[in-house]
Amino acid sequence: MSMHAGFAGLPPGKEPRVTVPRRPWANPLVQFVTASLLLFGVTWWATGIFSQRAARSEALADARITTELLAHSVAEPAMPKGLIAGDPGAIDRFDREVLARLLVGDVRRIKIWRGDGTIVYSDETQLIGQRFPLDDEQLSVLNSGATEGGLSNLRRRENKFETEEGGLLEVYTRIESPEGQPLLFEAYYSAETVKQRAVEVLQPFRRITVGALLALLLLGVPLLGVLTLRLTHASRARERLMRRAVEASEGERRRIARDLHDGVVQELAGTAFALSGTAREPSLSPEHRQHLIGWSQALRRSLRQLRSLLVEIHPPDLNAAGLGAALEDLSGTAASAGISTSVSVAGVDGAPDHVVTLVWRVAQEAIRNAVRHADASHLIVEVSGDERQVRLMVKDDGVGFDASAPVTDTSYGLRGLRSLVEDGGGRVQVESGPGVGTTVRMAVDRL
Amino acid sequence: MLTRTTLATLAVSALTLPMAFVAPASASHGGNGDVRTSGSCSGRADWKLKAKPDNGRIEVEGEIDSNRSGQVWHWKLKHNGSVSARGSKTTGGASHSFRVQRRMANLAGTDHFVFRAEHAGQVCRGTISY
Repeated sequence: MSMHAGFAGLPPGKEPRVTVPRRPWANPLVQFVTASLLLFGVTWWATGIFSQRAARSEALADARITTELLAHSVAEPAMPKGLIAGDPGAIDRFDREVLARLLVGDVRRIKIWRGDGTIVYSDETQLIGQRFPLDDEQLSVLNSGATEGGLSNLRRRENKFETEEGGLLEVYTRIESPEGQPLLFEAYYSAETVKQRAVEVLQPFRRITVGALLALLLLGVPLLGVLTLRLTHASRARERLMRRAVEASEGERRRIARDLHDGVVQELAGTAFALSGTAREPSLSPEHRQHLIGWSQALRRSLRQLRSLLVEIHPPDLNAAGLGAALEDLSGTAASAGISTSVSVAGVDGAPDHVVTLVWRVAQEAIRNAVRHADASHLIVEVSGDERQVRLMVKDDGVGFDASAPVTDTSYGLRGLRSLVEDGGGRVQVESGPGVGTTVRMAVDRL
Repeated sequence: MLTRTTLATLAVSALTLPMAFVAPASASHGGNGDVRTSGSCSGRADWKLKAKPDNGRIEVEGEIDSNRSGQVWHWKLKHNGSVSARGSKTTGGASHSFRVQRRMANLAGTDHFVFRAEHAGQVCRGTISY
């Protein structure tokens, strides 16, 4: 099975125009700018996320250092005996001595816990003496002496006095009372600090990334524009060359067809006519007459085949009015192969030439397939249309094939058919099955 | 020879006699949430005690007015029975008095404060609750 390449077989000016729709997305420049903007958005979002994480980590690290400093340099040395026992005098003395030095910067709250969960000191004095169970992490810090922290759960009872909007960051570490008892020193910081740190971390990073992307965009757009222009020019030049090659091929086909038609066809027609006339001579013996009639019929069959071949090599000028006749000529190939054909055309008046050409080309391919592969005895070619579209059906009663089977090399003609229709802006459907024949349906808009 | 009972009676009298001269305190409430109380000491001096809120704390202010300048008084401030502050102060100025102020933790529940000052056997003792 073969497929005619390109615009072969069509008269000059009737080539199926492979029009590429003007889709903005197909423009490389638009694609580049879109991709850049997308990258810009993703980078913006990602830098935001990463800077938040970095800022939180950095703010937590800062808070840890501050907490350790406050715990070991301010609170621990000033802690009087009796504080852990809840002695009010000791609480007063400690409070007077360290409060102003503990609530520095963005420190919002201080709590000092005993191991049993009793708060022995807080700048919120109403909490002093109250007991809240320590969680696992706090107990771990109390045992290990490490410094840990994280966002505060403000719904916990010990945080009932916290009204800070935006939340709090809490950090705790271990200190020792003068009695040698381990205590948990806890400092709370405004979470706003984390946000401020995020902004501080993010701003320079964003300036770099956004600046680099904008620079890339500004540099890339003109470059890509020039490249696109060059590609477009090259593509147009290639298209012109292809068109010229096709036109040259068309001219050659036209010349061969004309020579055959004006020479061999005419001579064969004359010979067939002469043989028929001679066969009617009364002086001839019946045996010779039968020979002459047989030769005349053979010549006429050859003539029909030659005409079909000519139609294939160089189709006639196609238009809506001549489509029926052109299809009749085309079906001559099938008739020569012993397949009875019926052709009907209706509703195509006023159809554009390129639509008519496509219908003819698809019919040609379908008939060719039927003749070569279908082993059919009857072939129906039917064209119908309305104001919106033109439809073609080519149906044979041949051996058919498994339409659901994977595409193989032998189905090249079918692929060629589909390619032909898609290039022409139509839709094709092939229905077949073993032993039930094959029906090719095609529809194309009149536009 | 004095009997043991007589000695005990004298000892108790010696300890309680100065206290007997400490006049009963009079308490009043000020306008800004402060509480004031005052009274007379065992001698001729008078004492005043004031408690007022101060940014989540209680500021307690004790004053001794002895009518004589140059007297050195030893004072003590107790919070719920525990010594919160102590020191020495000398009376002076036109009022021949001295004054001490301390910020105390505002603990859960009612806080009780005692201001006690001593000079040459004269004892001043005032209490206030906030």
